[in-house]
Amino acid sequence: MSIDVPAPEDSTDPLQPELVEGLARVVAVEGRLAWLEPEQTTSCGGCAASGLCGAKGIGTTASRLEMRRFPLVNDAHLAVGERVVVGVDARALLKASGTAYALPLGIMLGAGGVAQWIAGSDGITMATMLAGLGVGLLAARWGARWLGARGQLAPRFLRRASAGETCRIE
Amino acid sequence: MQEYILLMVGAALVNNVILARFLGLCSFMGVTTRIDTAIGMGLATTFVITVSSMANWAVEHYLLVPYGLGYLRTVTFILVIAGAVQFTEMTVRKVSPPLFQMLGIYLPLITTNCAVLGVALLLVEGKMTFIAATLFAFASSLGYSLVMVIFAGLRERLALAEVPPLFAGPPIGFIVASLLALAFLGFSGISTT
Repeated sequence: MSIDVPAPEDSTDPLQPELVEGLARVVAVEGRLAWLEPEQTTSCGGCAASGLCGAKGIGTTASRLEMRRFPLVNDAHLAVGERVVVGVDARALLKASGTAYALPLGIMLGAGGVAQWIAGSDGITMATMLAGLGVGLLAARWGARWLGARGQLAPRFLRRASAGETCRIE
Repeated sequence: MQEYILLMVGAALVNNVILARFLGLCSFMGVTTRIDTAIGMGLATTFVITVSSMANWAVEHYLLVPYGLGYLRTVTFILVIAGAVQFTEMTVRKVSPPLFQMLGIYLPLITTNCAVLGVALLLVEGKMTFIAATLFAFASSLGYSLVMVIFAGLRERLALAEVPPLFAGPPIGFIVASLLALAFLGFSGISTT
């Protein structure tokens, strides 16, 4: 299976867009690829690994971090177990949030508003909003494909994490 | 129409989820170090609050009330919220795995966000119609996102300011949050009844 991995960029270039940084751990190295697993944070912004408050999203899919593993070109010769700092373009994060959440929500509420205005019945409004949510999710899928094709959703390797580096979402 | 606009203004500004009802304070302090992450968290929470409130309204009116199961309300609402978060996660993952990798950080945080349950319980108290409940939930979450973004902007500026060492970090954050709450008190002068 071929994996589309973006080429690493020079993280010291001052003209690069602002990045949102996060910590990840190398869990496997396969040829030129390193597989990274993001470190989960808790609702207080601290590191779940430190067991600060135990609010780790119990029972949620995203709390199973292996589902969020991602590949990077291993030009930095990373070894399994190393902690690294990765970054995504801040504007891409906003576009992704808008695509995944705002677009379906907007279409759903718009559909509900029109249904309420025309029919004025709770049942019809509910059904229309469900249909609107479905359409919105399809629109989100197209939007995500468009963003993905432009390589905007891929994290970049920035640097190796220092020993005491915390895993706040920053 | 005017009734809906007043309901939304009241939910977003006058009775703001964070600054007037003191719900969701954990993420308010934890995920507001940058504006970008605050917007991401705000959008994710807006989606989940709106969708779960719609589901909770339906459960309340078609299951709990007709069968006299009101005493199970809190447990049922928690289940519905967990289901809504799970649904959102699965959908984002199916719709776009790269989006899931990028935005997955916010989703587990929402499960433990008491603002989601708080809004659902407020809907029951308000005895609203479906469309009013949906607009109330949407406006409440917009108010939550607005405060998150304002506070993140203030904290970004604070990071550049010369704060006395004793106040640096969370202490100055709490002081700024209290000033922001005082500022939002000004909205309580707006009559929304």
